[in-house]
Amino acid sequence: MTVTDQQFAPPPQPVPPIAARAVDVVKTYGRGETAVRALDSASVAIAAGEFTAVMGPSGSGKSTLIHALAGLDGIDAGRVFVGGTDLSTLTERERTLLRRERLGFVFQAFNLIPALSAAENITLPLTLAGKRAERAWMDELVHMLGLQDRLDHRPGQLSGGQQQRVAVGRALIARPELVFADEPTGNLDSRSGAALLRFLRQATCTLGQTIVMVTHDPVAAAHADRVVFLADGRIVDELSDPTAERVLATLAGLDVARPDEPVEA
Amino acid sequence: MWRLSLSNALAHRWRLALTWVAVALGVAFVAGSLVLTDTSTRLLEEQFRTSAAGVDLTVRGAAAFDAAMGVEVARDPLPADLADRITAVPGVERVRALASGPGQLQVPDTAVQPAGPTLLGTWAEAPFTAYTLRAGRAPHGDEVVLDAATAAEHGIAVGDTVTVSATASRTLRVAGLSGIGDSDGLANTTVVLVDLPTAQVLLDLGSGITAIDVIAADGVAVPELRADLAAALGARYAVTGGQDAAAASADAAKESISYLRIVLLALAAAGLVVGALLIANTFGIVLTQRAQELALLRAAGATGPQVCASVLGEALLVGVTGAFSGTAAGVGAAYALRGLASDAGLALPDGPLTVTARTLVVALAAGTLITVLAALGPARRAARTAPVQAMRACDPAPTGARKGRLVSGWILLSLGVIGLLAAALLRHITGVGVGAVLLLSALVVLGPALTPRLAQAVGRPLSDLGAPGQLARHSTVHNPRRTAATAMALALGLALVAFVAVLGSSVKAIGASSTEAITADLLVQSSGDEMLGGLSPQVAARVAGLPQVAATSTVRFGHWLDGDVTSALTAIDPATLPKVADVQMSAGSLAALDGGGVVLAENVAAERGLSVGDTLAMTFSRHGEQQLRVVGLMADDTARALSTSYVLSLGTYAQHYSENVDATVYVALADGVDAAAARTALRAAVADFPNAQVLDQAEAAAGRAAAVDQVLGLITVLLGFAVLIALLGITNTLALSIVERTREIGLLRAVGMTRAQLSWMVRAEAVLIAALAVLAGVALGLGLAAATLAGLSADSPLVIEVPAGQLLAVVVAAVLAGLVAGLLPARRAARLDVLTAIATR
Repeated sequence: MTVTDQQFAPPPQPVPPIAARAVDVVKTYGRGETAVRALDSASVAIAAGEFTAVMGPSGSGKSTLIHALAGLDGIDAGRVFVGGTDLSTLTERERTLLRRERLGFVFQAFNLIPALSAAENITLPLTLAGKRAERAWMDELVHMLGLQDRLDHRPGQLSGGQQQRVAVGRALIARPELVFADEPTGNLDSRSGAALLRFLRQATCTLGQTIVMVTHDPVAAAHADRVVFLADGRIVDELSDPTAERVLATLAGLDVARPDEPVEA
Repeated sequence: MWRLSLSNALAHRWRLALTWVAVALGVAFVAGSLVLTDTSTRLLEEQFRTSAAGVDLTVRGAAAFDAAMGVEVARDPLPADLADRITAVPGVERVRALASGPGQLQVPDTAVQPAGPTLLGTWAEAPFTAYTLRAGRAPHGDEVVLDAATAAEHGIAVGDTVTVSATASRTLRVAGLSGIGDSDGLANTTVVLVDLPTAQVLLDLGSGITAIDVIAADGVAVPELRADLAAALGARYAVTGGQDAAAASADAAKESISYLRIVLLALAAAGLVVGALLIANTFGIVLTQRAQELALLRAAGATGPQVCASVLGEALLVGVTGAFSGTAAGVGAAYALRGLASDAGLALPDGPLTVTARTLVVALAAGTLITVLAALGPARRAARTAPVQAMRACDPAPTGARKGRLVSGWILLSLGVIGLLAAALLRHITGVGVGAVLLLSALVVLGPALTPRLAQAVGRPLSDLGAPGQLARHSTVHNPRRTAATAMALALGLALVAFVAVLGSSVKAIGASSTEAITADLLVQSSGDEMLGGLSPQVAARVAGLPQVAATSTVRFGHWLDGDVTSALTAIDPATLPKVADVQMSAGSLAALDGGGVVLAENVAAERGLSVGDTLAMTFSRHGEQQLRVVGLMADDTARALSTSYVLSLGTYAQHYSENVDATVYVALADGVDAAAARTALRAAVADFPNAQVLDQAEAAAGRAAAVDQVLGLITVLLGFAVLIALLGITNTLALSIVERTREIGLLRAVGMTRAQLSWMVRAEAVLIAALAVLAGVALGLGLAAATLAGLSADSPLVIEVPAGQLLAVVVAAVLAGLVAGLLPARRAARLDVLTAIATR
């Protein structure tokens, strides 16, 4: 397309060790009496090639953090980097192109365009960029996600688990530096949820894909390499190689610290 | 439930806003048409009543019928001594003999061409008329009184000289200016008043008069006097109430208004139908969006009928308020329509508007009913919402066509196509109408089933425009019902536009080919293009006397009653017509017309089963039914060149008609004469007849084509109205679908669709819908026009002329308009905040 697109072409090898970084990020919603500080000097670094889970009680700022890292939302203070790019220096259009070229997304629900087939949904970011999918890579992804027989189906004809797998395919197709997954298993039964998490895990192990996942499910978080805990808009703790029990224990610790805040179910 | 309807309508007011506009526009059109035609009718009545104020009875020559095709019939002049006979009848207080007829006024430099007629009348003072002198005095001898309005418009003052012509022409001095009742003049009409002898000279009546007004003595009952007079005068004379005579004159003028009313109301109906499609679509979309809310209502215990009633309540609210505003706007629209009509050459009297209770009731009822009926389908679907849907966070699944719908649609379509083809082949115009209605209903029913494939095909070029184009095509295909309803509304409007364009150019082509039989070099015509033209016989005489002219032949037209139907005939001179026209006779001879009798066009003779030697019953206004012998049959082409299928000789015409004016004088020039010089000579010869126009064939044809164009222009402009409503429909549908697709848009933005791409997607969708509509509409319009022309080909040759340039312009304009219709929704979509969009769960 234009010169601006070139700017966001994948950075030269070797991949920098830090895929994204938030530095003292402040984000306030509302003003005056009703102002809510969703992020209060939050700083976090996402290591490249790792599967990171973000956890925290309801209202702790998980989603705000991920939106800020993905350039979906502006911030009031601090800085956000994706790779070497400072998001605050980008225009709206440049941020859109960055999302298209360098980031992938999986949302909790409504991940797919109803009018497009599964295959078309997967290749959507490439289509938007006016590119074609590499045949081999597409086949590999489809095979990995077990969607060979479902490519011509519309989202309405797919099960919830299949829909989320298509969404994962779409998030990976452009070989993004970073994939954000916002409660990707939130609407799935436990079996489909576990399968989806295995796919994400596999993407990191075999493809070296960097993934950031927001979740409130300790079992889901246990699939990650590292868990970051948020409370009141700051990073308060983190775990490496987590297990569900350790995650639960850490969360319980947060609750003790803030007894008046109920834990999300 | 009513409170629920009210709060729902208010909560969704912007979603219903365009629906409301569609209702209001349609109703405004209906109300405007009614107000305009009511106003014109009332003004005409007033105008004729005022001029007959104070008169109890009017005596005129008897006639078999009063008026034909919007023109009052001419009656025999009355003998001057009739006034004395009337005065002798007991109970008659005063009488007044008068001579009146159509005339022309010429101010030194220019002919005064009023939008309506020029009335040449006899001056009288109260109590006989409502004419009141505003300046100067009553006319005597070579003097004239003009209406003050005309005088003001043309800067004529008392003391100026003007030329007044009817059969004869005179230069007269303006003695005074008159008002009529309280007003300065009659709407769109020039009134020229002279004394009786002058009127008799101008109208070439000799000592004859055209009517006698009678005022009854005090205490005499008018109905009894009327009976007495009728008995005393005999059957040759008709005695009517003064106001009745005025009403009859008004009726003749009102006839053309009633045609206008039919055309306007038909176009308004088209607007309403387009509006109805749009309303149904809007309610369908809004209710789909509210599926969860409706399910919640059902879960809370609302019955299906209650849900249905609540939706209909909303429709009622939109319908009633829309209809009210539309009615109010319609009164204003009447002014605009009057302007449009006068631009198209239809003169309507100017004056304050008449708003009748009937207009209000019809407009309000039409708007309300259309809205409620259109919402009925969506309301019934809403009533079927299952309570469990409240628990599901389901995406509104687009519904495809049901099987029953498909079957009935295809049956309707086959019936429609077969009906159209059969009617076209059998030349049966009513059958064409039935076929057209069947075809249109089939398309409405089948629309959702046909749309996906059509959209897939038409949208193919969009796929080359990258992701936005592909997505636009997908979502158009994906929502067949919505796409179909939106496109259908526009298609209907465009079909009518294409239909009118093809019909118009074909009619013009027929007109051009029909005059090929005329070989005259020049023709002189009355500039008022009405069929009953008003050229003084002196025009023909002067032209014939010019050295450049080899031959002339005059043509006159008259109306007659064919059973109950008014028909027209042409009167010609059998001796001279062959010199200016290539007359093809298939039986008998033209010369035989001299012995009386009639020549028929072949197709009419065949239709009636008449051949040479048979007789035809024709009813004339003066002599009632007459048996005329068929003395010849004429080729259809020749008859068309002469404008009617019934041809008499001028001599026979003179026996049955008292008009003594020519419609057209055909002129053949002598060999070697320069055409331009001859024209100049002709113009000079008829210079004191301001209404005589000297034209060559091409100009005459262009004049006829221009008249067709003017009327077509009016109809097309009004159809543009329906198209406008349909375009509003595209805007509305897309705006609503943006709301519905908020999350989808959020997702697209999140995965990297730029704002520019997003607005292109929405605009591409609008263009695709418009393109679908263009395709369906133009095809439909062409088909219907071809069938209609074929159906009419019993009376005219089958000529189908497709105005390619014009249609292309329609296509381009509609697609561009589609682009414009998509602008607003596209902006809306592009402005959606990504986060808000994905957060809407």
